[in-house]
Amino acid sequence: MTQSVTQPDRNAGGFNLFSFARSQEGVVVFLLVALMIVVAVFSAASPYFFDVRNGMNIGRAISIIGIASAFTTLLMIAGGLDLSIGAVMNAAGVVAAMVLTQTGLGVGGAILAAVAVGALVGWVNGMFIAKLGINPLIMTIAMQFVVRGLTLGFSASASKVIVDPTFLAIGQSYFHLGPLAIPAPLLWMLLAMLVLWFVLRFTLFGKYVYAVGGKASACRRAGINVNVITIQLYMLSGIGAALAGVVLAAIQGAGIPYGAGSELSVISAVILGGVSLAGGVGLIEGTLVAVLLVGVLKNGMTLMGISSVFQMVAEGLVLVGAVTLDRLKRRL
Amino acid sequence: MQHAETTQGTPFLEARHIGKRYGGLHAVRDVNLSIYPGEVIGIVGDNGAGKSTFIKMLAGDHQPTSGELLIEGKPVRFAHPRDAKQAQIETIYQDLALCENLSVMDNIFLGHELTRNPVLRLLRRSKMHIESRVLLDDLGIGIPSTHELVVNLSGGQRQATALARVAKAGAKLIILDEPSAALGVRETRALLDLILRFRSQGKSILVISHEMRDVFEITDRIAIFKRGELIAIKRTKETTPDEIVSLIIRGRQ
Ligand SMILES: Nc1ncnc2c1ncn2[C@@H]1O[C@H](COP(=O)(O)OP(=O)(O)OP(=O)(O)O)[C@@H](O)[C@H]1O
Ligand SMILES: [Mg+2]
Repeated sequence: MTQSVTQPDRNAGGFNLFSFARSQEGVVVFLLVALMIVVAVFSAASPYFFDVRNGMNIGRAISIIGIASAFTTLLMIAGGLDLSIGAVMNAAGVVAAMVLTQTGLGVGGAILAAVAVGALVGWVNGMFIAKLGINPLIMTIAMQFVVRGLTLGFSASASKVIVDPTFLAIGQSYFHLGPLAIPAPLLWMLLAMLVLWFVLRFTLFGKYVYAVGGKASACRRAGINVNVITIQLYMLSGIGAALAGVVLAAIQGAGIPYGAGSELSVISAVILGGVSLAGGVGLIEGTLVAVLLVGVLKNGMTLMGISSVFQMVAEGLVLVGAVTLDRLKRRL
Repeated sequence: MQHAETTQGTPFLEARHIGKRYGGLHAVRDVNLSIYPGEVIGIVGDNGAGKSTFIKMLAGDHQPTSGELLIEGKPVRFAHPRDAKQAQIETIYQDLALCENLSVMDNIFLGHELTRNPVLRLLRRSKMHIESRVLLDDLGIGIPSTHELVVNLSGGQRQATALARVAKAGAKLIILDEPSAALGVRETRALLDLILRFRSQGKSILVISHEMRDVFEITDRIAIFKRGELIAIKRTKETTPDEIVSLIIRGRQ
């Protein structure tokens, strides 16, 4: 009897629930279900929660964390880690404000200068981590101090007020879509996520992000320039933080040099969204849903009069819960 | 160094006094070896004899601490595996060097992806899946789906994936570090046939193996490593498995 060598493609037919639950798509679906449950609970608990205006408030509140997490998702899928995000955000806001008030470069120049700062910090991070093999945790914490110190020094520790209406519109205007008034920051976040989703899913660079996170030595042996990709990813993370900082400055109407660092909120959102710290897995969709989930939880708790102190505890508990479930599902 | 000479012309690759130190450890010491087009060389030796370290230097994965490499008579330096690939050297490493989080197809095409649009460099996934399927069938390799993640594959299927990658790349020198260690009977046969097919195409093959039967079936010459040194090179036709085993164990008499 002769046997055909070509066997049917196993992925073509059939659906395996267990392997789906373990897959990165499974994580996203799980988070979506969790999000729907949380929304249902808050809707029942507070009459103000399930409302278009409140939804838009949540959208604006999550946009800053959302923009930064979208960019750093790529870095973390590739096995990297960036703790200088919060410091870069503040630096970018201050730089944008100072360029606006002290030069004639205008809004475009302000944004470019801020992005350049983010890219430069990312480049320094990437060079040390890729070329010298410095531990990313140590390197980016060190950069966090350097950047924070420089920002405080250059601004003389004073907030830089922004009055340029075009710049403020970046954070404070609305896009009207029929009866819907979408806050601009939410739109920037969705735009950033859409672009990065496309990059991860369809481009060669996106494949290399996963490949480097899977096994960097195998990529190197396949002739891929892993160092260049690593440096580019740290630069992207820095640029994302800078863009988030620009939007934040526009919302606040000022570049504030001493704002609390939000890097831990960003990183925990990415991990909640299904990116493993070991690298190699994760989706932008996961980060989007995770950012939404955290935003909805905070908003709902605020509406219910739960103090912000306990909200911090809750955010931490959600992350612990998520990584615990992640461990448990590996045993499926 | 006694060479079992008669191999003629310019070697594709020549290693001259190649050595590698890891700190105080001399993993490879003063190895001289020429590899000619259309020749299969087997490398044998005990565990830790320096076989993998030697081929990693040819593959550009490690840099020698002494000696030099020549490709078609010209001195070269490989600072990165990419340089060796550009010199038409492809390698299957002992640990396979696969990304387990990616699919079989993604691994077969790793570093050689088909893309469209020079700016966005969009992956041509379906074309690569079809080509992978053809390649695997052609090699007689039993992998059900090119979509399967490598993490879900058996040891032999992983080795087969690495093999398909090298078969696709089409180099002038193909280095295989214990490629049959996890292969089944049918897959080992496919591997040996593939090596012989490569040779008939004028390619050079360097294969590390502990399987004496396979070594005697496919090689033209056998290089014996012991404690980092190349202690002998024998023409396969002029030696016996007993002699090789004795050299591996007792060294040069
Ligand atoms: N990266 C490294 N750093 C330090 N020592 C190393 C390194 N790689 C190999 N060695 C040492 O070099 C020696 C030769 O190792 P190598 O892997 O080349 O042996 P091998 O002949 O391939 O053995 P096997 O048959 O077990 O694969 C060993 O003593 C090993 O411990
Ligand atoms: Mg070895």
